[in-house]
Amino acid sequence: MHISEGVLSGPILAGGAILALGGLARGLRELRADDLPRAALLAAVFFTASLIHVSMGFFSAHLLLNGLLGLLLGWAAFPVIFIGLLLQGVLLQYGGLTVLGVNTFNMAGPAAAFGLAGRAALARFGWRAAPAVSLLAGGGTILFSGVLTALSLGLSGQEFAAAAAALGLAHLPVAAIEALVTLFAVQFLRQVRPGLLGRTGDVRP
Amino acid sequence: MPSETLISLRDLTFAYPGGPPVLKGLNLDFRAGETLGLSGANGAGKSTLLFLIMGLAKPQGGTVEIFGRPRRTERDFQEVRPSLGFVFQDANDQLFCPTVADDLAFGPLNLGLEHEEIHRRVAEALDMLGLAGFERRVTYDLSGGEKKLVAIGAALTLHPRLLILDEPTAALDPGTVSRLEDILAASGLPALIVSHDQDFLARVATRRLTMADGFLF
Amino acid sequence: MTCDLNPGRSVLHRLDPRLKLLAVTAWSLLAALSRTGPAALFALAGALAFAGLGRLAPGPTAKRLSAVNFFLVFIWLFLPFSVPGEPGPALGGLSATKPGLELALLLTVKVNAAALGALAFFGTSSVTQLAAAARRLGAPEKLTAVFLLTLRYFHVLSLEYARLRQALKVRAFRPGLNLHTLRTYANLVGILLVRGVDRAERVHAAMLCRGYTGRFWFHDHFRFTGLDWLGAVLLAILLSGGAALNAF
Repeated sequence: MHISEGVLSGPILAGGAILALGGLARGLRELRADDLPRAALLAAVFFTASLIHVSMGFFSAHLLLNGLLGLLLGWAAFPVIFIGLLLQGVLLQYGGLTVLGVNTFNMAGPAAAFGLAGRAALARFGWRAAPAVSLLAGGGTILFSGVLTALSLGLSGQEFAAAAAALGLAHLPVAAIEALVTLFAVQFLRQVRPGLLGRTGDVRP
Repeated sequence: MPSETLISLRDLTFAYPGGPPVLKGLNLDFRAGETLGLSGANGAGKSTLLFLIMGLAKPQGGTVEIFGRPRRTERDFQEVRPSLGFVFQDANDQLFCPTVADDLAFGPLNLGLEHEEIHRRVAEALDMLGLAGFERRVTYDLSGGEKKLVAIGAALTLHPRLLILDEPTAALDPGTVSRLEDILAASGLPALIVSHDQDFLARVATRRLTMADGFLF
Repeated sequence: MTCDLNPGRSVLHRLDPRLKLLAVTAWSLLAALSRTGPAALFALAGALAFAGLGRLAPGPTAKRLSAVNFFLVFIWLFLPFSVPGEPGPALGGLSATKPGLELALLLTVKVNAAALGALAFFGTSSVTQLAAAARRLGAPEKLTAVFLLTLRYFHVLSLEYARLRQALKVRAFRPGLNLHTLRTYANLVGILLVRGVDRAERVHAAMLCRGYTGRFWFHDHFRFTGLDWLGAVLLAILLSGGAALNAF
């Protein structure tokens, strides 16, 4: 869940921007000229997914897919998620330029971290690790994003403490759903295009 | 012995938002036992007509009656869609599960059927399609013809009362067309078929209509 | 494809996209960093003025604003009760504090000021023009290129997704609180990904065939007109004024 513009304090906005910039620079280095179309495609899927309303009876949310992006992109999750968020801000006209740094870092940081770890695990243990990896990456990414989001709010001022805690907790059901969706999505990719998860040949059958 | 009217369209009018009228008061009766072929020029509104029958679009005027009852709300259409066996023109628009078995099982899963029953229907469909052994094949990687057969199978596993096919022979080689005809015959289901393929319709249709200028002739 | 968001001929439409990009960034910062009531209200008033200049349609604008205000629900649920200070009215059985209510109100004004400014400046521009403007202002070439490609792919994807949703209906899918629903959505994402990646590969091959070597060029005919200079000066004045109000 990303934070609206106008709530966080100046130092947090600046700190988030710097951290995001670092991640962006690192992520852009990963993207060779040949990778640009695919990166753009993933950013477009990320953006489209944010418009997919998953309605499960009374509870409705929209898909985030940060964990999956992390598994597919590693460090490149930074520029891809950045562009997805930017597109939301511009195309949907939600704005959010000042919080772009914070939101990018909060979402892409855990995504990249879990993604890199997940890919390493798959390379080491093969496909049988896929279910555990997907659940952990899918859910863990959201949980950590929740913690970072709560921190961003909480560190902006003492008065936000209660709201920050609530915001963090709100990520729990989302994390559960994302863990499962990532599990099934990776299962799909494993059957249809296993080469997408790591350079072909990385993942032992 | 009069045949039951499955679909009845009365005075159907439709235009896309901001566009010219596509249907101008169209009437149609589709009865059990028949294979109805609909032809017409591109843009005449044939696919639109099918979308209106499936409740994927709302007419500006007129009524859509399916199985003897008027259908207006999304709820009404949800009730009948499993029985209407719709097959899209492009199989890629219809199939999105990893394997053939998954795609064939999707419909029955939505109907909340038991595992054994789903298994049975999938095996039955594979048999009828001549795709034995295709259970674990990845749908996305199949040839165009094979995908079309799976798409039809995906409709058949719902055990529909009829089939609605939008340009079924588009981009198919003669061999697959022939298999398609066999499947249609074997299913024993009445079928509403939109097609350009005059030869195909000549072989399978019991009645043929042409769509032009917003009406059926 | 220019991707005009709200085509029109208002004053804002005619401004140089580079100026608009700078304006929206600056105004968002002003709104986000406002610490006092007067400063925040000034930011909101300015945003309303921009919205007026851009001749934004009230209905759709209000709808977009309501989406942004969603986050504020959180704020209003907690802030009035968690900020220590002079007690205020009791809301729903709990006693709120005056500082809490004031802070929630301040945030509400700030959030809406920033959002409305974005609506005004983005809403009167073409996305591709904004990307070109960003490039001119120093955005990295790779990033801008990916942004534009993403936009193009999104158009295709949204059509594909719409067709898949029709397929869901036709195949009798009913979303519910179960694994089948989650698996179905995961499969949709999967198929969009796989198809998309294949398409991206074809696009890449086509680009290579046309001499792509990794560099992108962006076309623009940006020229600062008198209107732009006037706008820039006014903006500078407003920004200083707004910043100064933080002292009150």
